[in-house]
Amino acid sequence: MAYDSDLSFNYFGPTKIVFGANAARDVDIEMGALGGTKAVVVTDQGIIKAGLVDGITASLGGRCAGVFSDVPQDTGVEVVNAGAEFARKNGADIVISVGGGSVIDTAKGMCILMTEGGTLRDYNGVQLLSRPQTPHMVIPTTAGTGSEVTNAAVIMDKEMGQKRLLVENFNVPRMAILDPKMTEKLPPLLTASTGMDAMTHAVEAIHSIPHEPLTDGLALHAIRLLYRYLPVCVQSGSDLHARGQVQIAATMAGWAFANAMVGIVHAMAHSIGAVAHVPHGIANGILLPDCMEFNLEDAADGYAMIAEAMGVREKSMDDSEAARAAIQAMREFTRKIGHPQKLSEMGVSGKDIEKAAEMSLSDGSIVNNPRIVMDSAEILEIFQKTM
Amino acid sequence: MPIKAMTQEWMDAYKAAIQADPEYKSIAKDWEGSVSLVVNPDPAKNVPEPIYLFMDYWHGDVGEFVVCDKEKAESAKFVMTGDYARWKQVAFKELDATKALLQGKLKMRGDLPYVVRNIKTVNKVIDILGKVDTLWPDDNK
Repeated sequence: MAYDSDLSFNYFGPTKIVFGANAARDVDIEMGALGGTKAVVVTDQGIIKAGLVDGITASLGGRCAGVFSDVPQDTGVEVVNAGAEFARKNGADIVISVGGGSVIDTAKGMCILMTEGGTLRDYNGVQLLSRPQTPHMVIPTTAGTGSEVTNAAVIMDKEMGQKRLLVENFNVPRMAILDPKMTEKLPPLLTASTGMDAMTHAVEAIHSIPHEPLTDGLALHAIRLLYRYLPVCVQSGSDLHARGQVQIAATMAGWAFANAMVGIVHAMAHSIGAVAHVPHGIANGILLPDCMEFNLEDAADGYAMIAEAMGVREKSMDDSEAARAAIQAMREFTRKIGHPQKLSEMGVSGKDIEKAAEMSLSDGSIVNNPRIVMDSAEILEIFQKTM
Repeated sequence: MPIKAMTQEWMDAYKAAIQADPEYKSIAKDWEGSVSLVVNPDPAKNVPEPIYLFMDYWHGDVGEFVVCDKEKAESAKFVMTGDYARWKQVAFKELDATKALLQGKLKMRGDLPYVVRNIKTVNKVIDILGKVDTLWPDDNK
C-alpha cells in the first residue's frame, strides 16, 4: 500500500504491557513501579464469582484499599461517581480494573474524579484535562475491547438520556497486564464475539481515513494472530498459548484503532446496540463482512493487505480480487468460530434497523469511513443484508 | 486589504462572509448554539494574551460575533481551546478540526457527537474562514 507523500500523523500509545501466564500475580510489584501504595480493585460480580479477583487481592495484601464490584454490563455516571467515592473513602491512590470494557471504562471515569474531584457530569467534552490522572492498571478478562490501551471511555448518563464519550490522552491506562489465565474460562460464544470485536477494530483501523503505517502494521499482525488463534480458543478454551496470542492481538488492534479510528461498522454497531441491545462484539462480527463489501471500491488496497495477512491472496489476484477474497474469508471465519450470522438471530426487527440506520449517520465513527455515507438508505441496505 | 485576525473588525468580516455564503443557510439549518474559540497566548508569534471569540449560530442564521472576555466565552454551548498555531492550521485547512480534537491538539467542552453530527456545518464555517482576507499576528506583511 502506498501512503501519500504528505503523510502526517500522531501516534500515541503510552501503556506499558506486561504479558504472561500468571502475570497477574505480579500486580503488587507492578503497582509499586507506578508509584501506587493503595489500590482500589474495580470489577463486577461475574468476575468475582469466576474467582478471578481472589488471586489479585491476595497478591496485593495490605495494599488493597478495597474491591468495588458494583459495575453493571453497561456502566453509568452514577456507578463511576460511587466508585470514585468508594476509592476516596478508602484512601486509594491507584486503580486496578479487572474485567471487560464496562469495568475498564468505569475505572477510567473513576481515575478522573479521584484526581480532579467533582462528578462525571463536570467533564463533558474532549481532551479537557491538563495533567496526568490517577494511575490505572488494567487486567482484562476478555480479549477484544482494546480499552486497556485507549484514551476513550463510554459511560451512560441515564438522567440525560445519552452516552458520554470521554476522550482524554491524560487518562490512558498506564499499564495492562495480559494474563492468558484471566481469559481461560471465557465461554465459546463470548470468546468468539469479543474476538470479532478485536478483528473489527483491526479491519476498521486499516480502512479508516486516518490510517497510517504504524497502525496498519499493528492491525495486520492482529489479524494474523486472530485468524490463526481465535478458532483455537473457541475450540479449546484452556489452550493458554492461543488465549495469549488473542489477547496480544486485541491489544494491538486497540492501539491501531485508538490512533486510526473506526468507521461504518462501529457506527452501525453502536446504533443497533442502542436500539435493540445487541452486544457490541456480536453486532461488529455480524456487520463486518457486509460493511467491507460496502467499502470495497474505496478500500481495496487495504483489504488486499488483509487478504495477505489471512493467507488467502493468490499471486494472480489484483487488489480488487484479493479484497474480495478477504471479505469471503472473513465470512467463512465468522462461521468457523460459531459467531452469529444475522441480526435477526439477535431479535432485531425491521423497525429497529430503520431507526438504527438513521442513528448511524450521526455516529462519530462514520466520518472516518473510507466511503462517504450521505444517506441513511445506504446504511439501511447494509442492515437489510444482515437480517 | 487584509484585516488583523481575531479583532472585532475581523469578526465582523467573518460574520458578513458567512451571511453572504449561498450554501451556508441550508447546510447549517440544524445547528443551534454558540461556539467560543479560545486562543492560547503565544508571545513568540505576537499573541501575548489569550484571545476569546464568541460566535452565535442558530439554524442557518448568525447572531452575535464578538471578541469577548473569558466569562462570556465560557458561557457558550461549545468552548474550543487551542494554541494559536493550531488555530491557524485549522483556518488554513492544514489541520482537520475533528481529528485535532481526538488527538488532543484542540480541546472542547461540549457534546462531541453533536459536533460530529453537524460536521458539514463545521467544515463550511472553516471553509468560509479561509476566504476572509486575514493578516495573522505572525505574518510579515
